Amino acid sequence: MEWGLRNDGQRLIAAPTGRVDEESWKDFSTRLNAAVHEAAGASLPLVIDLSGLEYMTSKGLRALTMAKNEAKGAVAISLAAPNFTMRRILAISRYNMLFPVVDDVDQAT
Amino acid sequence: MRVRFWGTRGSLPVAQRPASIAVKIARALMIARGRKFETEAEAESFALTELDFATHGTYGGATSCIEIEGGDDDQAFVICDMGSGLREFGINALRRCAEGHPRVYHFFLSHLHWDHIMGFPYFRPAYESGAIIVIHSGHPDAEAALRRQQEAMSFAVPFDALKAHIEFRRHSPGEAIDVGGLRVTMIRQTHAGDSFGYRFERGGQAVIYSTDAEHKPDEMDAEGDFETFFAGADLVVCDTMYSLADMVSLRQDSGHSSNIVAVDLCLAGGAKRLALFHHEPSYSDEDILRMHDETIRYENVVRAGRPRLEVICAYDGLEVTL
Repeated sequence: MEWGLRNDGQRLIAAPTGRVDEESWKDFSTRLNAAVHEAAGASLPLVIDLSGLEYMTSKGLRALTMAKNEAKGAVAISLAAPNFTMRRILAISRYNMLFPVVDDVDQAT
Repeated sequence: MRVRFWGTRGSLPVAQRPASIAVKIARALMIARGRKFETEAEAESFALTELDFATHGTYGGATSCIEIEGGDDDQAFVICDMGSGLREFGINALRRCAEGHPRVYHFFLSHLHWDHIMGFPYFRPAYESGAIIVIHSGHPDAEAALRRQQEAMSFAVPFDALKAHIEFRRHSPGEAIDVGGLRVTMIRQTHAGDSFGYRFERGGQAVIYSTDAEHKPDEMDAEGDFETFFAGADLVVCDTMYSLADMVSLRQDSGHSSNIVAVDLCLAGGAKRLALFHHEPSYSDEDILRMHDETIRYENVVRAGRPRLEVICAYDGLEVTL
């Protein structure tokens, strides 16, 4: 998994690429939690750009839950631009009920 | 090895209601679209081959109870948990004993919650003198739990009136137990008051029974222990009561797992087959069938070049031969 992070002035946008699985979930979780703190410090919402992500297993999804817990309601977290596979995983896990999911990063607020 | 599922429902026994049967019949008639069947056997063949399981069958409503058979030289019955499915097993076992099977029963208890012990007062072999019942548990108070549910305020027959020889053995993770030709090991699981999963091995084959186990987000570091415990198993019977989202939100701390966590643990451990188990009591047959289909799709997506994990869905009456 590779990790990108940018601030467009309105949002902090995290962009993991590759896979989040048994091998990479810890790195993903560590970087995600750091992004939550950065977003909180800047009073920005956090958008997770999934467009470069092949898929995420349950460990990645649970890392999202830990990030949400870490945010303690102070940072809005949304998921953007999932590919077909990720959209399917979000539906199967019902994580599309826990996080806002939008088609395009530009739509995420 | 062979595994028979006598009870597969979680938490509370449930039963089909007339309305749900009517829906199944109506759906079957619609799919048949006026086809004519000369015999009942022909109609049954149509039902079994052309209707999905939720239409022609039911996953059942008895609570946790499975039987593990080691092989032809069985000297004892080996049973996991005493949910309401135990009643049906007891009736079946009496028939097999009449045909010569030894009247020796080894139970392995995941934990002592009611849905996992409620079948014991209705276990007919317990009322037979000459039967030997050995109850293995990781909990120190298994005997107290079974005695309590047969106190006068709860049940008509006191525990001491049971005629079988009954003994209790407490075990710990790391210990190997040899029973009925099987080598048994156990693992501690996250559940209120703890629960224990069991690994049964014989002749290079392995069956895992892991129910009532929550795999929390903040305990993911410890999941390697489960991946090792599941390693190379021919069948993993796993608690898949909730969706992952429910497990981490509405049902957080309820002590139960999710279908996709089970897939991930099995794939990481190189298990060959997963049986979805401990179905949520509010789920209809259609809900469980949908969950099964979704779990298969998830496994297909995350397999990533590893050997395929076959995903089956346990139902009351299912028999799996390894």
